[in-house]
Amino acid sequence: MRLLTTAFTLILGGQYSFLLAQDITLPVKSGSVRFAAIGDNGTGDPPQYQVAQTMLRFHEKFPFNFVIMLGDNIYGGKSPKDMLKKFETPYKPLMDTGVQFYAALGNHDDTNQRFYKFFNMNGERYYSYKKGNVQFFVIDTTYLDPKQMAWLEKGLAGAGTDWKICYFHHPLYSSGKFHGSSTEFRGLLEPIFLKYGVQVVFAGHEHVYERTKPQKGIYYFTEGASGELRPGNLKKTTLTEVGYDKDQSFLMVEVAGDDMYFMAVSRTGVTVDSGTIQRKSEVPAATTGK
Amino acid sequence: MKLLGPALLFWLLGAVYAQPVQPKSVDSPAFREFSQRVKEYVQLQKAVPRIKTTKNRKEIIAGRNALAAKIRETRATAKQGDIFSPAGTEEFTKVIRSTLQGVKAPNVRKTIRQGEPQTGWKLTVNGEYPEDLPFTTIPPTLLMRLPQLPPEVAYRIIGHDFVLQDLEARVVVDFIAGALP
Repeated sequence: MRLLTTAFTLILGGQYSFLLAQDITLPVKSGSVRFAAIGDNGTGDPPQYQVAQTMLRFHEKFPFNFVIMLGDNIYGGKSPKDMLKKFETPYKPLMDTGVQFYAALGNHDDTNQRFYKFFNMNGERYYSYKKGNVQFFVIDTTYLDPKQMAWLEKGLAGAGTDWKICYFHHPLYSSGKFHGSSTEFRGLLEPIFLKYGVQVVFAGHEHVYERTKPQKGIYYFTEGASGELRPGNLKKTTLTEVGYDKDQSFLMVEVAGDDMYFMAVSRTGVTVDSGTIQRKSEVPAATTGK
Repeated sequence: MKLLGPALLFWLLGAVYAQPVQPKSVDSPAFREFSQRVKEYVQLQKAVPRIKTTKNRKEIIAGRNALAAKIRETRATAKQGDIFSPAGTEEFTKVIRSTLQGVKAPNVRKTIRQGEPQTGWKLTVNGEYPEDLPFTTIPPTLLMRLPQLPPEVAYRIIGHDFVLQDLEARVVVDFIAGALP
């Protein structure tokens, strides 16, 4: 029996642990906004493909409708072959189920990715879209010019949704050893987020997963390990609520009314973080499961 | 009429607040000249079809290459300093260096470092920004102190050099060597 198990492990490799994947803790409520988040994924290497496979498996139980991409979508070469290898092939099974991708640009991305239909950027470096009661703002932090700042402020001021979520590449708060917090961006963006009631922010850039303690009432997630990974690169600080740097990972999120449920899952299907954020008119409060 | 004064003042304050804060140097003659040259550059490229949104990555690459070829053809004699004039070079270098040495300098320098700055390769006007190299993140504090650009072009930092790049064509339009300390 042990031999059989060993053989099974060898044949399936990393996928063996998929059999041990935990059940999802997300409620899958009717009419909720359901999405996944990946960052720094576009390597074209086996771990990216394995994360994509795990996403597909979880999609069966948690049918998310779209994926937000937190930048560094395509590393290295950007030829048509590269796009195939680093995006279309690994995520094709997901796209075949109707899942859409909404990309933010990272410092490794060609700005011409905004013309790539599968990234839903409509030719813009920065853009906004609405899903249910959530307005998403996608910011290009590699080139955060005054025009973009004015656009963001105007958009946030005019958003009438319950939830305002921003995502971009450089994390305002991070305990990653390699880059750490992007303090200059924080100085510019955080006052705007606070002024207009942004509740949740997603970023990448650091090749780890981290959820910080709420900073001035805003929840910051870093998911920069959906392809790349810097094992052991997370220096847990007073900022860190939960961090994970042992394996690649991705996030799943569900917004239902005033609640936002989240679940971070490793490449092999292990839940590394989960919890709920409750929207309040001023400061959201969180309860976490792990 | 009594109400008009405060209303006008309120409107003016609102208009001022809505605008990004720009230092006086953005209005300098050297920067005005730079903006005019950029405008002329962009106008020159208007005749070339821009890239359209498509699922076909080959079309994006083909569009980029066609645009780059056209730029090189129309600017065959372009040389360093055509856009960044001597006065512009001086003004840009002054603003860049003061931003990197001011109160916010540590954060600004950190932003540049975070972008994994590239060194060790030679810039040429009309040359290509290699597609497999990352972009150095441009500090927003610096962007606020420089002339705003039309969407067709962007500032880049490569090593110690400051670059004006055509975004779609990935072509180096002009650069200032050694603008950064």
